[in-house]
Amino acid sequence: MGRLRMPSLIKNRWCLVWLIPLFIFLPFLTPHHSLASEMLIFAIFAMGYDILFGYTGLLSFGHAIFFGAGAYSSGLILIKLQAPLLVGLLGGIFVSLVIALVVGFLSIRVKGIYFVMVTLAFCQMFYFIALKWSGLTGGDNGLHGVPRPSIGPIHLDSEIRLYYLVLMLFVLCLFLALRIVRSPFGRALQSLKSNEDRAKSIGFNTNHFKLISFLISAFFGALAGGLYALHLNFVPLETLNIMTSGDVVIMSIIGGIGTLYGPIFGAMLLVYLKNLLSAWTEQWNFIMGILFVTSVLTLRRGILVEVKQRLFHKR
Amino acid sequence: MEGRSSFSPPGYSMDIQFVFIQLFNGLALGSFYILLSLGLTIIFGMLGVVNFAHGALYMLGAYCGYTLVQVYSGNFWMAVILSPLIVALIGIVMESTLLRKLYDLPHFYNLLLTFGLMIFIEELIQIIYSPMGKPFNTPKELLGSIDLGFMLFPKYRLFILGVTLFLAIGIWLFMGKTKLGAIIRAGTDDSEMVDALGIDISKIFTLVFGMGAGLAGLAGVLAAPLQNIFPYMGMGILTETFVVVIIGGMGSIFGSILGGIIVGELITMGVIFWPPMANTLIYIFMAAVLLLRPRGFFGRVKFFE
Repeated sequence: MGRLRMPSLIKNRWCLVWLIPLFIFLPFLTPHHSLASEMLIFAIFAMGYDILFGYTGLLSFGHAIFFGAGAYSSGLILIKLQAPLLVGLLGGIFVSLVIALVVGFLSIRVKGIYFVMVTLAFCQMFYFIALKWSGLTGGDNGLHGVPRPSIGPIHLDSEIRLYYLVLMLFVLCLFLALRIVRSPFGRALQSLKSNEDRAKSIGFNTNHFKLISFLISAFFGALAGGLYALHLNFVPLETLNIMTSGDVVIMSIIGGIGTLYGPIFGAMLLVYLKNLLSAWTEQWNFIMGILFVTSVLTLRRGILVEVKQRLFHKR
Repeated sequence: MEGRSSFSPPGYSMDIQFVFIQLFNGLALGSFYILLSLGLTIIFGMLGVVNFAHGALYMLGAYCGYTLVQVYSGNFWMAVILSPLIVALIGIVMESTLLRKLYDLPHFYNLLLTFGLMIFIEELIQIIYSPMGKPFNTPKELLGSIDLGFMLFPKYRLFILGVTLFLAIGIWLFMGKTKLGAIIRAGTDDSEMVDALGIDISKIFTLVFGMGAGLAGLAGVLAAPLQNIFPYMGMGILTETFVVVIIGGMGSIFGSILGGIIVGELITMGVIFWPPMANTLIYIFMAAVLLLRPRGFFGRVKFFE
């Protein structure tokens, strides 16, 4: 597979003219303000995941672990220690990175299909731990009463203010992710994806690169998880479910993997769609299954690229 | 996951007879893992696809049995014969209409396709039969226990052990002694070469997928009397089956059998010695195997690449 290109509409600088206002006014365009926060939270998650899946070529079904661990640890730090917001988020990221170090170290010992199965198995393990350790995590009921501490004079009790906090972190994350994938390090990751043996023979320590890529994606996932806990004021057990891993995979596929913008778009689209359809039908997961099958069959390069190709090139 | 509740003891008394019963229960539980991982590993060896829908096919087997026995008041033995055939047919349709389209692409697309199919099948069953669990009665002939001399053991679980032993030997003979088995083994090594020798490999692909699906369906219908059946019963057992093939090694019949027994025993023994960790023990064991022998006990180097 060659390098995937985003359609020119994102590439052109002038598109910022309408993208910036879109993001600033997003909470006023969605049915309720908090939906906009959720869209961006999953965009952060998917963005980080793309560095691992799209750029390094490692398909992980275990990223719910880092999303969930970030959410639970941030939530617990905020509840038990009454810590400031930043400490809560950073604490969640720290715990997630420690877990990612262990899980990543074990998982990258195996390749390809094995990697998928091992990460999925670990995901199930952490799900069970959270379920059984109900004294700490609230078990099946989830972790209730996550506070939103104020940042200095700014209170985060309104959904709008929380959105702008998320937006700020989203922009920071985007710059960070762009910096990473365009750096020599990011190029090395891509070489790993296209031909690992050759990358190794050039002299790259490929396992080292894989682990770092794993940690980077876990970092984004944990931040997204921490924000998710703030957004809901509560951490559902489902954050650790395998389906959460499945969600981020399908977001990446629908948006187009290896493009960074694609998964962001995919995540926002899917979260929006889910919200929209949940009002109509209880069977969101059924639709999700159909969406998953059809997008793997027909939208492999991302919905934007595929639609553009079909409309303009008639192939 | 819930299936395990039926394997857990009534109390936690710790006499030696109870440990024996749990050892046998571990074998019975392991039987399901063996049936599922055999199918998974044969499909993977041939098609290069890890079938995420395997758990969903297992669940379909249970629901087929339920529909035949409870709804159409059929005979349990009929259900044991028919359900695997129906599930095999569904597998054949899946392979020949959907999976086939993606063989030329990187393998993970097919894996994602089966993941999507898993969600689709589970949700479809949930819509048709409601998410509530359904009871499934043990057939009259197999109610009660047999005195094995040193302990009493439920007849039905002994029956499961017998069926699994019979099938494992059957598959081993089929793969090793028949012409079709030889073609499958050859296809596992180099499917293009087999194709070039004038054997229609795509038919073999479909057949193998159907066979694996049928084994999953059989495991499902056999598991039904031991638990309430519900639409998401396949998800838990799918991950555990993955652990089995990671421990035993992909592509090996003996690996599946050994892995299945180990996982079954770890779970049932964990229930006695450390109940809260019973679910976690197998993953810790898996982590140890990854550290010491990443390709599993009998894993083939080829599949590990």
